[in-house]
Amino acid sequence: MIAAAVLAQSGGFVRDRSDSGSGSDACVANNGVCPSWIVDNFDRYTGPLREHVALTVVALLVGFAIAFSLALLAHRRRWLVGPIVQFTGILYTIPSLALFFLLLPLTGRGFLTAQIALVSYTLLIIFRNVTAGLDGVSDDVVDAARGMGLTDRQVLWRVEIPLALPEIAAGLRIAATTTVGLATLAFFAGAGGLGEPIYADLNFKSNVLVAGGLCVLLAVVLDVVVLGAQRLLTPWTRAVPS
Amino acid sequence: MSTESPTDVGQPISTPPASLEFVDVVKRYPGADGPTIESLSLEVPAGEICVLVGPSGCGKTTAMRMVNRMIEPTGGQILIDGKPNTDRPAAALRREIGYVIQQTGLFPHRTVAQNVATVPRLQGWSKQRVSERTDELLELVGLDASFAERYPAQLSGGQRQRVGVARALATDPPLMLMDEPFGAIDPITRERLQNEFLRLQQTLRRTIVFVTHDIDEAIKMGDRIAVMRPGGHLAQYATPAEILLDPADEFVERFVGADRALKRLALGRVSDLKLEEAARVHYDDPVSWVREQLRDANVPYPLVVDADGKPLAWLDEDDLRGERIVAGSGSEVAIVEGDDVLRDAFSDVLAHRVQFAAVVDHTGAVVGVLSSDAVARELAPGPAPVEPVESEGAA
Repeated sequence: MIAAAVLAQSGGFVRDRSDSGSGSDACVANNGVCPSWIVDNFDRYTGPLREHVALTVVALLVGFAIAFSLALLAHRRRWLVGPIVQFTGILYTIPSLALFFLLLPLTGRGFLTAQIALVSYTLLIIFRNVTAGLDGVSDDVVDAARGMGLTDRQVLWRVEIPLALPEIAAGLRIAATTTVGLATLAFFAGAGGLGEPIYADLNFKSNVLVAGGLCVLLAVVLDVVVLGAQRLLTPWTRAVPS
Repeated sequence: MSTESPTDVGQPISTPPASLEFVDVVKRYPGADGPTIESLSLEVPAGEICVLVGPSGCGKTTAMRMVNRMIEPTGGQILIDGKPNTDRPAAALRREIGYVIQQTGLFPHRTVAQNVATVPRLQGWSKQRVSERTDELLELVGLDASFAERYPAQLSGGQRQRVGVARALATDPPLMLMDEPFGAIDPITRERLQNEFLRLQQTLRRTIVFVTHDIDEAIKMGDRIAVMRPGGHLAQYATPAEILLDPADEFVERFVGADRALKRLALGRVSDLKLEEAARVHYDDPVSWVREQLRDANVPYPLVVDADGKPLAWLDEDDLRGERIVAGSGSEVAIVEGDDVLRDAFSDVLAHRVQFAAVVDHTGAVVGVLSSDAVARELAPGPAPVEPVESEGAA
């Protein structure tokens, strides 16, 4: 019921299909996939798309900063791993809608509330991958590094983190895809995004296709960006044994 | 100018090797039954290879790792050039000690050149100097310059180990620690790397602590061998020859093996022995002339050589039936060089029909003959044999 109230507040997005003015009125009336309507109304989606990109990218950056710091903290203090996994695991299992409404009285409607939820969901994934990546670095390599006189900090930044990059990137990619999807619910917290047009007219196929398609496109672009960065940063993983 | 860091000018100055001394070093782990190392005292003179050898659990690796403080001793002191190794931060100490481990520990994300440059870059060498030194080191360990830009995953096990050695030698450290450096390599490559490393050591003269569980490797590589017994006791510390001739106790005797007399063959080289002379003949020589020549030789087979003096075949009675020596007749010759280890040379002799080997110089020309008798005499000289009559020299 609350959801309905929120919906009502954010309504009025696509309902006025009449101003399409094109000859595809029949198609629109039938809730079909109408290319001419899509072309004429595409600019309606640029605002939500921009919001969606901001929601996702900010959540990923903040989530990465927190999870990466936690992983480094726990790297030399192994006993911290258990509690951190438990805590982020609990965050991960809270249904996102519930979290939005739990936060409403504290942080109100808007970007901050949505971010708190989205960031929470990235933590477990990124933390676990960074930790697994650092743990996966061979003991011999670390032993040799220390034995040659690298300080603990140098071992971490020059040896362990670079070698953990493939795992770290893998975590980021999963987190990115998940966050793009979850951000479609951010409009319930009043933060806009592509969820708003989708839920405003779920029956209209053209609408769902464009908004949903943009979500998929955004997920793919983020995935390619992270993958590209990883390949650029880890040339050794592609060295062909001769 | 006077404030310029001395490490940043010109080529690396060859640093003199350091001496190393363990003084009553103890390592005890809390909760363990006994000490891992029980009061270890030993001295490694500068420029020598000291091999720590013993069965697993004898504390040899622990002892080595305490030198660069990868493990901190519970008691006692380790002195490098007379100064305790605790007189500066561990990282600074380690940069001045070469470190090679069994699995090489090469950085998989760095190229060969970057791996080799690790310590020079930590020491703040200039780019120019680092790259010159890298080229020099790759050549030193026998790797083509084309390997510089490869990643470790693109190298064979033997090549990786060479890079590991080059990396450890980068700043010409006065002291090196090597933990089973050739342990994970196939026997043929291991043999080659051992030989190359010994040759390098002849010119570099580093002080080296070398850990192995293989007594044969210890005998081959060590100027001195420290045989360790489980519990970190030093059972014997002596030269390889002393350990083989005179084991300190039953443990050392058993560890060295029942064939310890034969193992001494690994210590000698062909050039250490007095060589014998064979009659050198050519194909197509008259048989009667060949028989003449045999009279002055102390080897009962004539040796066929070519125009350059390279050995071709041993002749026996069956080959001397005709008027002249038939080209291509005779049996195969074992060929050894003065540098060869006696064990290998002896084995080569035993594998041939005629129990004499032709010793050749670097051009391949015969300089003498090695007999299995001479090898046996080297192992066990025995008392002087009785002469039948007063010898008056050859006629």
